[in-house]
Amino acid sequence: MDTILSILVIFWILIFISYLLMEKGLGVFGQVARGLTMFLLEKALGPGSDLVEGRKGSGAMVWIIQGVFWLFVSSTLTFIGLWLAHDPTALHSLEAWGYHPVSSELFYAGRFAALFGCVGMFIIGTGLHILPSLLEVDLASEKNAVLTSFVWTISVIVFVIGSQNPEIGPINVILVGTVLNSVVGLAIIANQLLTKANSSLSLATPGWLIIFGLIGGPIAVLSLFLSGEFDTGLGQWLFYHLFSATFFFSSVAGISLYSASFGSGNALWSRTVAGVVIFGTLFTINPLGLANPSMAVDMLGLSAADLVVSHQDNVAGSFFMALAIIPIIALSSNILITLRGTDVFVENPDSAGIPEINFGAWMLLPLGIGALFIQTDVLSGKNELTGLSNILDLMSIWTILIPLTFGAAIQVLPSVSGRYPLSQNRARLSFWLISAGAVLGLGLTMMSDIADAVLLEALVEEPSVLSHTLRKAGSVIFYGVVIGSIFHATNLYSGMYRGAKVDKSLSPSETTFAPKSYPLTSTTTIRKILATGAVLDTDIIPTFESNEIGSPTPINEEE
Amino acid sequence: MSDNSSGKIGQFLQGEKEPSSSWVILVIGIVASLSFLVIYNILYPGQDLPVISSVLPMFEGVFDSGIWFFILGAMIGAFAIIGTILTEAAIE
Repeated sequence: MDTILSILVIFWILIFISYLLMEKGLGVFGQVARGLTMFLLEKALGPGSDLVEGRKGSGAMVWIIQGVFWLFVSSTLTFIGLWLAHDPTALHSLEAWGYHPVSSELFYAGRFAALFGCVGMFIIGTGLHILPSLLEVDLASEKNAVLTSFVWTISVIVFVIGSQNPEIGPINVILVGTVLNSVVGLAIIANQLLTKANSSLSLATPGWLIIFGLIGGPIAVLSLFLSGEFDTGLGQWLFYHLFSATFFFSSVAGISLYSASFGSGNALWSRTVAGVVIFGTLFTINPLGLANPSMAVDMLGLSAADLVVSHQDNVAGSFFMALAIIPIIALSSNILITLRGTDVFVENPDSAGIPEINFGAWMLLPLGIGALFIQTDVLSGKNELTGLSNILDLMSIWTILIPLTFGAAIQVLPSVSGRYPLSQNRARLSFWLISAGAVLGLGLTMMSDIADAVLLEALVEEPSVLSHTLRKAGSVIFYGVVIGSIFHATNLYSGMYRGAKVDKSLSPSETTFAPKSYPLTSTTTIRKILATGAVLDTDIIPTFESNEIGSPTPINEEE
Repeated sequence: MSDNSSGKIGQFLQGEKEPSSSWVILVIGIVASLSFLVIYNILYPGQDLPVISSVLPMFEGVFDSGIWFFILGAMIGAFAIIGTILTEAAIE
C-alpha cells in the first residue's frame, strides 16, 4: 500500500472512532470521565482557578482580544519580511546587538504569529462561544478557557523566538512551544467535548466543523506516528496538509458559516452543501499551504526528509487534492449566498465583520486552485512553481484565513463582551486598509516572484530592476495591513469599554429567525422591509397616523 | 476658594467641546513649517539646517534605511494599542 493511502486510512478510521465516541458516549464510563475531566479543567489547577472570575463569555472574549493583538504583531513581522526581501541590509544596525534579521526568518515568525497567534486564537475564541450557543448550554469551564488563553499566547511567543533561534543551548525552542500549545489544545478539546456532553440537542453543521477542526490536529499526529511514516518526506508533507485541513480549514469553515448566518440574519443557504464541506474536508487533501512542510517538521521536532514520491503516491495525492476543490467551492458559495439571502447584506454591508467574511469567501476559490497547481507540481517532482509557494501561502493567510476568522470574531465579540466596536466607520476603514493592503501588496510581490522565476528559467543572472521595484512597492503597500490592524485593535478595545451596549432582546439582524410582524409607519420600499429580516410570511401591520391639523391642547374642557 | 469655583476652573482648562474648524489651525501650522523649510533652502542653498543637521549624524549608520520610518509607525501603533487598553480600563 502506498504512503498517502495508508496514512489517510488510519486518519479516517480514527476520525470515525472519535465520531462514534462523541455520538454514543463512553457508556458506563461516561459519568466518571465527565467528573474526572471537570476536575482536571478546574480543581486540578489549584489556586490558579481562583485568579479568574469565570463569567459567561469571558473565555471567548479573552481569546479574541489576544488574537487582535497578534494580528498587529503578525502583520508587522510579515511587513518587515517583505521589506528585507528587497533590502536585505535594511536592519543591519541591529547586528550590533547580535541579531541578524533575514527575510525568510521574519516570514517564518510572521507565519507562527498569524496562524497560531491570530487565526488560532480567533478560531478557538469564537468556537468557545459558538458551540455552547448551538447546544444551548453554558461552556463547561469558563475559568479554564480564560487561563489557557495566556498559556497559548506564551506558546506563540516561544514559537516566534524559535523561528529566529531554533536552538538555545540544548533546548529545541519550537518543540517547547509545541508542547505548551498541545497542552492548551487538549484542554480546549476537553472543554468543548464536555460542553457537548452536557447538551441533549443535536449539533448543527458548523459545530461539527469546529469539533473536527479541534480533534483533527491530534488525530493527524497519531496517524503519522501509527503509520511509521514520520521520517519520510511524503509522510511529513501529508501530515502538514492534514493538520491545515482540519485545524485551519475545517474550523474556519465552521466559524465563518455560523457568523455568515448570525451576522446577516439569514438562515444558512444549504445544509447539504455545508455537509459536503465536512465530508470533503476530512476525506480529501487540502492543497492550501506551503510546498515545504518544514513548519510542521520543526513543530514535531523531527528531522526534515527529502520528498520522494512514487508514481502511485503521485496519482493518489493529486486525485485527493483535486477533490478538495469541492469543499472549497461548497464553503465559498454557502457563505456568499447566505450573506446575500434576504438582502440584508445589500442594505447593511458595513456591519463590522461582514465585509471581512465576504472578502475571505471570494478569495477561497482562486487561491485554492492556485495552491492545487503548486502542490501537484511539487508531488510530480517538476518543481517549476515552487518559487510561488511562499507568496501564495502568504496570500492564503492574509486574504482567506485572517479575514474569515477575524470577521467571525468581530461578529461574536459583541455577544460575549456586551458592547459593539466603538466606531463602525473605523471598522470599515480598517477593513479596506487590510484587504487592499494584502491583495495589492502581496499581488505585486507575486508579480515580482513570477518575474524572478521566469528570469531564473531563462538563465538571466542580472537582477531585474522591474522585479525589485515591484517588490519594493508591494512591501510599502502591505504596510496598510499594519495600519489597519492598529485601527481595528484600538477600535475594538475602546468598544469594549465605551461601545454601544448590545440589546439583549434579539433584533432581526441578530437572529436567523424571521420577525413575525413589521410595523409600517411610513412609505417604504420592499427592499428595506426585507432588509430588516422580514420574509414572505411576515405580517405588515400599518400604524395609522392622524391627518388632522394640530392645535393647542385644551387643558380644561369645561371652561 | 470654594469647590464650585475649582470645578469651573477645571472645565475652563480642559474644555468640553472641540470646534469643527480647529483642524484649520493644524493645517496652517504644517503648511507654514514646510514653507519655512523651502524658504530656508532658497535663501541659504546647500547649507545644513541649524540644530537638526548636527543631531542627525548621531544616527548615521543606524537608521539609514526607509524601513525605520515604518517601524517607528508600528511602534507608535503598539503604544497606541497598549495606551488604549490602559486608559480605557483606568477611565472606568
